[in-house]
Amino acid sequence: MEIVLTNRPTERKRLLQALQSFAAEHRLPVNVLQAADLALEEHLTNVFNYAYADTTVHEIRVRLSCDERALHVEVEDDGRAFNPLEVPPAETSVPLEQRPVGGLGIHLMRKLMDALDYRRERGRNILCMAKRLES
Amino acid sequence: MDIRKQITGDTHELLVAGRVDGEGANQLELEILAAIRANAQSIYVNLSQATFLCSAGLRVFLQYWRQMKNNKRLLLVTRPSPEVDEVLETTGFKAQMVEKV
Repeated sequence: MEIVLTNRPTERKRLLQALQSFAAEHRLPVNVLQAADLALEEHLTNVFNYAYADTTVHEIRVRLSCDERALHVEVEDDGRAFNPLEVPPAETSVPLEQRPVGGLGIHLMRKLMDALDYRRERGRNILCMAKRLES
Repeated sequence: MDIRKQITGDTHELLVAGRVDGEGANQLELEILAAIRANAQSIYVNLSQATFLCSAGLRVFLQYWRQMKNNKRLLLVTRPSPEVDEVLETTGFKAQMVEKV
């Protein structure tokens, strides 16, 4: 399944509905749906907020697929080059009084998804995420 | 997302139902600010009916947990649902942010 979104916040609801539909069709375990839901929320927040220097409408493509082992989620955007996997790990053992604001979105993606992969192709960022169907 | 308020003296409880996504986090922030303006000494955010919590929500919690603490007041999360509990645990928020029962 491929969903084409624009970089407008109201598009999120449409993506969530598509993800829920896909999950129901493929009988994905609840934990797999929840992990993908959160990882997509975090990644798209970063894309919407930081990928573009202009105010024009951009297309973002989200592709969902699954095989017998995992759910695969691929997000493609034409924003500025950014590899989230190069962001240093968040320090979650630091007391809250000393925590920096931000950085937890990518941390959650790393923790909730079983695999993350990034590449830059023809001026587009492509982030691939996978979640095993059995924990 | 829906937020119901229960006020007892200077203790405010916010009962959150639904998704604390980006939009939900903005709504939650407005409610916390309203409680602070109403001079709440303690704010409890009940997440037993929350189905989703993302980093935008965590950012709101962190900002106002700190602000309340600096003013010798209290903001805590109570009764996180299993989905929310996992996020709080994974990000190291649980130990200091969640009310111990």
